Amino acid sequence: MTPQYRLYRSCRREAATFGGLPLWLAFRCLPALLVAGLMLLLLAASPSRAQAPNPLNELESGQLLLRAAGQPFVPAIIQASKVHFDISGMLATVRLQQTFHNDSAQYVEGVYAFPLPQDAAVRYMEMRIGERRIVGAVREKAEAKKLYQAAKQAGRKASLVEQQRPNLFTNRVANIAPGEAVTVELEYVQPVAYTAGVFSLRFPMTITPRYMPGVPLATDEEAPLALTPDPYLGWALPTDQVPDADAISPLLHPAPGGDHAPLNPIEISARLDMGMPLAAVDSPYHDIALARRAGVYDLRLAQGVSEMNRDFVLTWEPVTGSAPRAALFTEQVDGEHFGLLLVVPPSAPAATRPLPREIIFVVDTSGSMGGVSIEQARASLSRALAQLHPADRFNIIEFNSQQRSLFRSPVPASRHHVQAAQEFVRQLHASGGTEMLPALRAALAPALEADLQHDAVALRQVVFITDGAVGNEAALFEEIARLLGDTRLFTVGIGSAPNSWFMRKAAEFGRGAHTHIGDIDEVGQKMATLFEQLSRPAAVNLAVDWPQPVEAWPQRLPDLYHGQPLSVAVKFGAAIPAGEVRVSGDIGGQAWSRRLQISGAVGQGAHAGVASLWARRKIAGLLDQRVSGRAEEEVRAEVLPLALQHRLLSPYTSFIAVEEIVSRPEDEALHGKAVPNSRPHGQADQPFAWPRTATTARARAWFAALLLFLALLLRVLRQGEVDHVPAARA
Amino acid sequence: MCPRRALERGRDALAVALLAAALLHGAGAALIHAKAWLAPLLIERAWSRTLAHGGAAVKPWPWADTWPVAKLRAPGQGIERLVLAGDSGNALAFGPGHARASAPLGAAGLAVIGGHRDTHFAFLRHLRRGDRLQLQTLDGRWRDYRVEAARVVDVRRERLSPQPGREALLLVTCYPFDAVFAGGPLRYAVRAIPVAPRSTLL
Repeated sequence: MTPQYRLYRSCRREAATFGGLPLWLAFRCLPALLVAGLMLLLLAASPSRAQAPNPLNELESGQLLLRAAGQPFVPAIIQASKVHFDISGMLATVRLQQTFHNDSAQYVEGVYAFPLPQDAAVRYMEMRIGERRIVGAVREKAEAKKLYQAAKQAGRKASLVEQQRPNLFTNRVANIAPGEAVTVELEYVQPVAYTAGVFSLRFPMTITPRYMPGVPLATDEEAPLALTPDPYLGWALPTDQVPDADAISPLLHPAPGGDHAPLNPIEISARLDMGMPLAAVDSPYHDIALARRAGVYDLRLAQGVSEMNRDFVLTWEPVTGSAPRAALFTEQVDGEHFGLLLVVPPSAPAATRPLPREIIFVVDTSGSMGGVSIEQARASLSRALAQLHPADRFNIIEFNSQQRSLFRSPVPASRHHVQAAQEFVRQLHASGGTEMLPALRAALAPALEADLQHDAVALRQVVFITDGAVGNEAALFEEIARLLGDTRLFTVGIGSAPNSWFMRKAAEFGRGAHTHIGDIDEVGQKMATLFEQLSRPAAVNLAVDWPQPVEAWPQRLPDLYHGQPLSVAVKFGAAIPAGEVRVSGDIGGQAWSRRLQISGAVGQGAHAGVASLWARRKIAGLLDQRVSGRAEEEVRAEVLPLALQHRLLSPYTSFIAVEEIVSRPEDEALHGKAVPNSRPHGQADQPFAWPRTATTARARAWFAALLLFLALLLRVLRQGEVDHVPAARA
Repeated sequence: MCPRRALERGRDALAVALLAAALLHGAGAALIHAKAWLAPLLIERAWSRTLAHGGAAVKPWPWADTWPVAKLRAPGQGIERLVLAGDSGNALAFGPGHARASAPLGAAGLAVIGGHRDTHFAFLRHLRRGDRLQLQTLDGRWRDYRVEAARVVDVRRERLSPQPGREALLLVTCYPFDAVFAGGPLRYAVRAIPVAPRSTLL
């Protein structure tokens, strides 16, 4: 008898006692295997449990990433603003106060990035600590920074206001003592916008997080931000396409704030003195309380304060018949005279037979458009499609990290195509990055190709719908200027806090017009205005002849679309010339001109702020020359003395205020803290669910084992009975 | 005799029923692991086609409702995982999934990848601060990340919301790792931040 045979026999006997092989397999073999499996599982689990990290103790320190919903985030520095607009004629003088309250137990340096209107001429700054006032000075940027660093190190209070973009600034306040508050006041002059008979003023309050294209320059721990020894505490790292990304990416409050408990509260008041009867004064995004006394309107926020989470817009309309057609404002500063000329060309009649045209809609569907913005974009596009004429050709390009066009090439706006487009628009969702450059290229570049195929296309218009939340504006402007050709670019700014500078400049380089949509209810009216501009002929070849040579900015006058006025800032020199100003141009193929008498008297149309505005226009004009290829150094050499002379903030000049008293003791360290901005109103921040990341495999395995055990138990109990029965028979 | 036989028959039936149920659950558990183990073979093929087609979505099998969007590698642990689109249950059964509501992979913002604690993301417990992670995105580029922190999160107390900001990866799995039952409120979250590509450091 071989051992194998003996084993076989015993197995057979074993199987027989269970009543057959299948039952034996089920009740002896499987349980044994299962028990063995479970033992293994337990053995495998216990050592790894012993070495599993103890994350609760070890790793919870200092994470901004995830925050308990129950505990509101409290920044070290609390910022509150106050703004007053003094509006008369075509200019607004604005005083903005920013108060930084140190709520921590340490000495801190607050870093606050804030937006201002893109055409603001910032000309005055002062720092206030309690009763003490320190008037800020304009210095060359690097010099101001050096002064600030020295003061910061010495423990003196100092404030440095720098321009990062024409509409984005940074304010640093060093050495704020625990529990102390420091106020920085800025004053700027801003022209009032006048479009289609409506005056308006826009004051931005927060910054939509911008997309920074490119590759990070240095992120390794070994070289922490080597490019900026003085980091701005922004969330983005400098990239090859946006080298100052950290300066233009302020942190946001993790939770959206509201007007009832604002995180960044602001008080807004205004004095409106137009010298003409007004038909309506309105603020579309804020509730205002209005009082009128002798033709002067005083207004403030109805609720006192508001959250800084959306642009403040004020609009007013003159009563019919008193709308201005032409005006000249002047100012004398240091013996020199400056002027601002405003002329409204007559509106061209709508063409009876519309010219065949091609309209390319480019819509931004990046992540920053999430929430109300993408709804507004969808509504705008849908409205625009409905206004297309059957003779038009059109296409839609959607872009985020990638771009996608609806049709391979522009198609006629037949009912079928428009329906397909409407469906495409309904399916647009916001996610991903903002790779704007390729989308712009796609919209502008194929103009030549299209013209070859359809020689009847007389007008090619690109309507660009975006929030402009990008960091590489300059590269985009260059591309627009380079590729434009005969195409015209119109921009539609979307959302609560769009990058207005981008909208405005892109339209300027694109020789089109721009419009803003901040609320879904405005879509109808704003798109109707846009289509008026798209379909009526523009005023072109504009020229202004002065009685004697003057320095006028902008140097090349833009084309004017329906409802847009001509606005030129000039420097007259020692005296205002007397004589006739002649404005001429072509509207819809017909010559048009207008004459204006100016007396040359010093007091005529005197208006404070005109000089600052002229200098600001000149700086903007000079900076734009970089886009057409002028060397940065040459531009800088012209801008710097101008900005210093007119005491203006510019890319090359900063405001600096330093207190003489040393406030921080030497043994106290200084901590840099970012002042977070408020989340733009309505921007998508729906929290999403955590993934469910456990399978039922383990529970099921254990359950299977339990059931098997029960079945085995039953079998064993029955075994006892089977054994018992034969015994009774015997 | 009769009642006793009936009792015996009932007991037999119960034993068989228990056995059948045990087999069912055992098979269910085995199936979960089998799917988790087999699916990546098909997904791997889809991923190579995705890369070949410049990032187009390729479904690993015709009726699949997800597709690979990235490849995640933990060189220190010798682990390679294909990340699928979406973090719903039907995607997670086959591999870790990228939460669509979070930032896109390889772009600014917080990108969230969830995975099952007992299959694809069981390795998370072995990750330590400073460990390297590599992610190959749709453009075929490999990106280096470094584990910055790991933490246990209570989903009843903490929200996950889109974070505009610096690029970061958040790998999420259930916690504790050895818990028997699914659906607990705790998650283990590993945060990794990008390391600059060597070439741009020069």
